[in-house]
Amino acid sequence: MSFQNTWRWFKCTTQKIGGKCWGIWFLDPPKDISLDGYRIDDVIQYTDGVILFYFSIVVLLMIYFLIRYRSRSGHKAEYIHGNSKKYVIFSLLMGMMVFLTVDVVIEGMAFKDLKEAFWNFPKGPNVVRIEVMPQQFAWNFRYAGQDNEFGSDDDLIPAQNQMHIPVNTPIVIQIAPYDVIHSFFIPNFRVKVDATPGMINTMWFQATETGNFEIACAELCGNSHYRMRGFLTVDSPDDYQKWLNSLEEEGEPEEDDWGDEDEDEGIPTYWGWAWKESI
Amino acid sequence: MSNHEQSFMSKYIFSTDHKVIGKQFLWLGIFFLMFGGFMAMLIRWSLSHNMQPLPWWLLGDILYQNSPVGVGIIGPDAYNQLFTMHGTIMIFWAITPILTGAFGNFLIPLQIGTNDMAFPKLNMLSFWTMFLASVVLLASYLLPTGTAAGGWTSYPPLSTPVGGIPGYGQVYWTLALTLAGTATLMGAVNYITTIVRFRAPGMGYFKMPLSIWGLFLTSILNALFVPIIAAGLIVLLLDLVAGTQFLVAGQKATIPGGDPLLYQHIFWIFGHPEVYILILPGWGVVSDLLSVFSRKPAFGYKMTALSMCTITALSGLVWGHHMYTTGMSPLLGKAFMFLTLLISIPSSIFFLNWLGTLWKGAIKLEVPMLFALSVMWVFGLGGLTGLYNATITADIYLHDTYFVVGHFHYTMAASVLFGGFAGIYFWFPKMFGKRMNKKLGIIHFWMSFIPLNIVFFNMMVMGYAGHHRRIFDPSVYEFLKPVLQLNDLMTTFAFLLGIGQLIFAINFVFSIIKGKKAEKNPWGASTLEWTVDYPIPHGNFASIPTVYNGPHEYSNPKVKDRDWISQSEKI
Repeated sequence: MSFQNTWRWFKCTTQKIGGKCWGIWFLDPPKDISLDGYRIDDVIQYTDGVILFYFSIVVLLMIYFLIRYRSRSGHKAEYIHGNSKKYVIFSLLMGMMVFLTVDVVIEGMAFKDLKEAFWNFPKGPNVVRIEVMPQQFAWNFRYAGQDNEFGSDDDLIPAQNQMHIPVNTPIVIQIAPYDVIHSFFIPNFRVKVDATPGMINTMWFQATETGNFEIACAELCGNSHYRMRGFLTVDSPDDYQKWLNSLEEEGEPEEDDWGDEDEDEGIPTYWGWAWKESI
Repeated sequence: MSNHEQSFMSKYIFSTDHKVIGKQFLWLGIFFLMFGGFMAMLIRWSLSHNMQPLPWWLLGDILYQNSPVGVGIIGPDAYNQLFTMHGTIMIFWAITPILTGAFGNFLIPLQIGTNDMAFPKLNMLSFWTMFLASVVLLASYLLPTGTAAGGWTSYPPLSTPVGGIPGYGQVYWTLALTLAGTATLMGAVNYITTIVRFRAPGMGYFKMPLSIWGLFLTSILNALFVPIIAAGLIVLLLDLVAGTQFLVAGQKATIPGGDPLLYQHIFWIFGHPEVYILILPGWGVVSDLLSVFSRKPAFGYKMTALSMCTITALSGLVWGHHMYTTGMSPLLGKAFMFLTLLISIPSSIFFLNWLGTLWKGAIKLEVPMLFALSVMWVFGLGGLTGLYNATITADIYLHDTYFVVGHFHYTMAASVLFGGFAGIYFWFPKMFGKRMNKKLGIIHFWMSFIPLNIVFFNMMVMGYAGHHRRIFDPSVYEFLKPVLQLNDLMTTFAFLLGIGQLIFAINFVFSIIKGKKAEKNPWGASTLEWTVDYPIPHGNFASIPTVYNGPHEYSNPKVKDRDWISQSEKI
């Protein structure tokens, strides 16, 4: 859809002129450091534009009518029912116009993004696969290790709440909780996926910058839901390899210096599952 | 019917008169509105003054004296209980009793021109079942471990014994909600039967006021979907007390075959229509009031009624948009997104007709009209922001953030509340025979409209910045640092909003006691309820009226001496 390109061009131009991304929400979302997060920002900003347009029409007309047709001496209301064919056709046309300018476009953008990015799971040897098991109130991560098989003896399990990924590499996670429903939310990547007991859900994302980012639990999971915080470190490929090696060498996993001081929540003795190739 | 002697008990407590039952629902609703509103204040305090003791004016000397985190301090457990009960009470114990219970009971027989409800005793039973539900709900506060804390959605396994919420709060919650659902269902059956069978001669479906259309469609949705949530709640109750595990799965399950997602489907099959159950009566009231105070017939009356019917039909087909991130089948997601977006067609016709009603009218800005107009504003914002949540990709980011909270507060809280206030100010003269104070009404309006917009709009701003829901202490997260200041601003305006509602409560009670006596038809409205004198006797009409005109006969050039004509008058 070339519309989307036009839209991106328009947005970039206005950004250059205004110096800042225009939006109606005053605060910007956390910095987008993902390959496909811009798609979500785009569809949100398009929606911003159209709802601002239609809402302004409604409010401006309302205010104009309130002033123009206010009750005053000598002014009488007109006896119009608005049931004639003319009005019916007009309102149906307006309904269609809203549908075509708002809904069809948003749906087009969303379906295209889903097909091209969010539901288009990467395959190949360079994909990093991670299993995630949230529990009340911590995140557990599992890496496949040397043999690239989950559930084998050489699986790597870092300290609780600590996740490392390499930059510019597609990451696929599979997630299933230990106890109740949780939701894996990384605001800087614009993605989230629920962890529902009895199901293995999946999601993929790719980082474009190194740094430290937060993982939040977005689904109410109990009284300490608010501090169920994970720490995502995006490493350069070398650092990532070093970190993996450190996991292999040492029995006790190394704590990140920026990780939280909370004690472990008590990891279940065994968890993990054979990687599901198709879900 | 109207002449026999009645004791105090049968006249005011166990009454079968729809008007008395309507007022009972109104009092119940207003009580819980204050209760739930006060909880909102506590939530706001906790968010902006985390772990600080409550001040005396938030009852800091009485509440949370045994709190494990310190005297008078709201801890994480208490916080979870607060937002759980705030949601539950506002939706099922404040909005539903006022909009459906009070207006439905009071208006339906009067506006369609009949003596009473089809089943007066069932009507009474409906209120007293609701009362019992309220007692069970309030009783949960007396439990040593406190009340429910699983969110108003109460998703299992968190809400089951596996979830780790201590005590019997969830059991009481489930029981109370099942009872409330039963009460709603009895009301719905009654409303539908009354509207279908008891309309006055000449009152065709397309001569009913739009308020009745709203209440009619709401009742249909209630009758169809409340049994579904009741089934879900009973399954949840079995999991809670009988040791079954229908809704538990994964490593914590000891019995195989359970499915937490099943509950989410059941909940939202009911839960999405519930939004329209709440808003449809409000839309009807607003459509009628815009016409009354523009002194001109409701523009495109038939289109408005048919749009409401279309939205009602669509509302049952869109529940999946609450579940995009649950791992539900992608194909389902696409279908749900398409069906959800279809709602924007009837909605835009709706707004067009509201604007059309104002167009070329003679607009009087009375208090009910101010509230009716404000519904156009808040529902405009609420409805349009629904587009983000309907979009699968945008929802991947915005789901379970404050953006959703802001969105549904605009649609459900603001629109329904303002529609409800418009209705209360409008029908107060017919309910209590007095006028409400106009000056206090206008102050109440501005004290509601401005703070409410600041609070709810900033919820969306926070959500867009990534603030996720149901967070006791947002300062835990680095990425939420920029939004923390907003919490202080919102809390201040939330308190102003609360004070505004106190003005309403004072005006309401004071007007009943000392208000100016109202004339028969103070607004010059043409619907049937304004043809009877206050106090309306048990049995309403001396003789059943015959209907000749539509519900919005204003400024008809054939009527010479005034700008309205009653539905039961021949031109």
